[in-house]
Amino acid sequence: MKKYLYFDKLKCSACGACALACMDQNDIDTEAGQQPFRHTFTLEDKAGSLSFYSVSCMHCADAPCVIGCPCGCLTKDAETGFTLYNTSNCIGCHSCAMACPYGIPSFGEDGKMKKCDACIERQKAGMLPACIKVCPTGALTLLTEEEFVKRQEKERAKKAEEMLREYSKTDYR
Amino acid sequence: MTDLDRKIKAKIPGPDTGIEIRHTLCDICSPGMHCGINAYIRDGKVIKIEGTDGHPSNDGKLCTKGLSNRQYIYRKDRVKTPLLRTGPRGEGKFEPISWEDAYTKIAENLNQAKERYGAESVVFYSGYSKWYRQMLRRFAYAFGSPNYGCESSACYTAAFMAWKTAAGDQGGPDMDHSDLFLGWAFNPFYSSYRGAEYAMKRKEEGLKFLIVDTRKTPASEKLADLFLQPRSGTDGALAHAIANVLIKNGWIDLPYIRKYVYGFDEYAEYVSHFHENNIEEITGVPYHKVAAAAKLIHDNPRMSCNESSAPLCHHRNGFQNYRAVMALLAITGNFDRKGGQFLTPHSYMHVPCGFKTREEEYQYETCPKHAKLPVGAERFPLWQYLEGEMQAMDLSRQILEKKPYPIKAVFALGFNARMFPDSGKMLHALTELDFFVDTDLFLTDTARYADLVLPACSSFERGEFKPYPGGLAWYTSPVMEPLGESKSDVQILTELANYMDLPDEQLKEGYESFIQKYILDDYNIRTEKLKEASLPVKIAEVSPPADYASLDNGLLTPTGKFELKSKIIEDHPEWGLDALPTYLSPLDDADREAYPFTLTSGSRIPNALHSRIHAVPNNRSLRPYPTADMNRTDCERLAVTEGDDIIISTLRGSITVKVHPTSTVPEKLVNLYHGYTEADVNSLMDADHLDPYSGFPAYRSTRCAVTRRA
Repeated sequence: MKKYLYFDKLKCSACGACALACMDQNDIDTEAGQQPFRHTFTLEDKAGSLSFYSVSCMHCADAPCVIGCPCGCLTKDAETGFTLYNTSNCIGCHSCAMACPYGIPSFGEDGKMKKCDACIERQKAGMLPACIKVCPTGALTLLTEEEFVKRQEKERAKKAEEMLREYSKTDYR
Repeated sequence: MTDLDRKIKAKIPGPDTGIEIRHTLCDICSPGMHCGINAYIRDGKVIKIEGTDGHPSNDGKLCTKGLSNRQYIYRKDRVKTPLLRTGPRGEGKFEPISWEDAYTKIAENLNQAKERYGAESVVFYSGYSKWYRQMLRRFAYAFGSPNYGCESSACYTAAFMAWKTAAGDQGGPDMDHSDLFLGWAFNPFYSSYRGAEYAMKRKEEGLKFLIVDTRKTPASEKLADLFLQPRSGTDGALAHAIANVLIKNGWIDLPYIRKYVYGFDEYAEYVSHFHENNIEEITGVPYHKVAAAAKLIHDNPRMSCNESSAPLCHHRNGFQNYRAVMALLAITGNFDRKGGQFLTPHSYMHVPCGFKTREEEYQYETCPKHAKLPVGAERFPLWQYLEGEMQAMDLSRQILEKKPYPIKAVFALGFNARMFPDSGKMLHALTELDFFVDTDLFLTDTARYADLVLPACSSFERGEFKPYPGGLAWYTSPVMEPLGESKSDVQILTELANYMDLPDEQLKEGYESFIQKYILDDYNIRTEKLKEASLPVKIAEVSPPADYASLDNGLLTPTGKFELKSKIIEDHPEWGLDALPTYLSPLDDADREAYPFTLTSGSRIPNALHSRIHAVPNNRSLRPYPTADMNRTDCERLAVTEGDDIIISTLRGSITVKVHPTSTVPEKLVNLYHGYTEADVNSLMDADHLDPYSGFPAYRSTRCAVTRRA
């Protein structure tokens, strides 16, 4: 079944719990400067409005990293749709990182690529990805295709409503 | 890599991987939370943690602070054996000694102080956490000292005192049934995090939010229908101005007030002095927003309000400010009714369990009758009247001045001198003691000043009784062996009480006996049975509160009513305190030209809790440097940009930190998180800038200067 890591910006406060869960799950050695596979940050615009984000691999449908890798390390999982990898043949050429529009792939001390694999082993065992399991406000969820489509429809309807409201407020005379 | 290797790497529990999930609780933050944790154990070691599904506090989730637990347990500076100081105080030179030798030294030194100077010369102090505090208090009393005290001298108690003064006991919001939520200093996204998800859900259901905060926060951004941003510590004036509009417009519940409220007329006269012509000058909030807040309250009659353990009270006028905010509930008839605030008595260690316990009986039945007054009693008479324990904010002064009597020894569990305003003064005071024992998981900055350091274990390494709201309770079991020779706090207290042969058989029977006899016997439950539960279970039925039931029965206040004017204070004119919730400017008397900024500290950041997880590598990696928030305009004037170093100074000294320019804080405010060894904000605070009602320190409003580091 196809699955989605879904991020709801409105519920996120960039608290970092997801990033810590990722570190704990993957034994990220932060003291040695290693970074988790998920990051949170807060953006403040000029007017002082705050936006909160949690970002990891987007698991793009048409993933540029898969095409960019000369060694065939990266694959799209036929079942779930996540972008998975086996770095046995990785030559550390960074092509995947250059292909990725989000700069997601990183490289370990062994020179090989690593990134979020949506905790695929946990999912296989019937468990949620670590970041989703922990998210205190429900900003991160794991959705099925059906739930994802419904969610997108809801978002679109909400956006249309907001635009309509803005439009009705504007005086075009 | 084989399938099994992959599963082990992914930490999948099962007989094949040898990974087992055991249940424990997170003891990083306050007893109001204590979330359930699934500890993934392999070869006796915790290799991963996550939230426990079905746990009443967190239902599978965890916050940024709770996620520190695994690295917290294994922090490099864990103390593994009792340590005896071999170098000067503070240097950190120790040698391991046996528990037997440690107990001998403690007994000798505490008894010597008692013989020479009296039992009151020995102070028994608890920092964070709180789970063993009943026993520590009883230990102090068995020793004969009135001087039990704790970090609650700077956290929560002032709010509790405000509630006791006005309504006789603690109140809590019935947010399920409110039309409007008054979130005053309310940011559940960074503290008590489960409240954030709930608040967002209630907002979707139509609950309105009036958010009041000096800083813009995720709560003001995501929840507020109206957001008021008063200057730090001016909350009381703002509440009075809102009350004044409500009263002038007749938007109050007069029949309710006549029946249930004491002191309304004088209160109404007093708040009439906060109005259109002065409120913006006092608080920075324009009058039209004050009027809009009153209108919002009028349009949404059922209003509840958050409890604020610290932010509202951390000012020299904090207790009065808190009362001023609470008054809004009373004049709108929202105290003791559905959708407003009901009494939620804390019946076991700051938890509103919903069932009665005999915790107080255990704590106070052996209180020495003819002992001297505890530290701080003379200086803070209302605190002494309501709390009857040491107000620890007066401890450094009494150690140094020896008045009204000398303090010669301190026996502590988790003493953190950096928690005290003017922490340097407290550290200096510790060097003046004849004997100082500290018990901690870590060799902290304060433990380095101790003559003896005792190793405590974490919540993962011990079992404890833990109740939750709604009549729930469980008794955890250790999920791993204690590291080194560390022991649980209650084991240490029990062993020491027996070693010293204190005259208190109940104390010497230990913690489980206390829980059995004073809590569980009343519900016909055996501790052994409770230990078998893998999640908190219902041990008592809880009935929902009925409208006006507490008021009709009479509150535990002297008048039996909700007191806008405190009868307790009114009856003690010698205290020199005001019975009405009068407003006073929060700032100290430092020269405003030389110290033009206001320093505020203590407001939560997601990845830390006080000082305890600053040294946890993963948490620290989210925000590696002590960083002060300052308004962008101020930053432009100082010519500093993101990450530049600034120097913050007061009369006590100065610290250097990085700066984060932002418009979340108003101009002239400097907001810095606390507990950093390398930039201890409390070293800048004034030990005497305290609230005369509660003794609470003014962490959130101290004049300071800021310069760019050259």
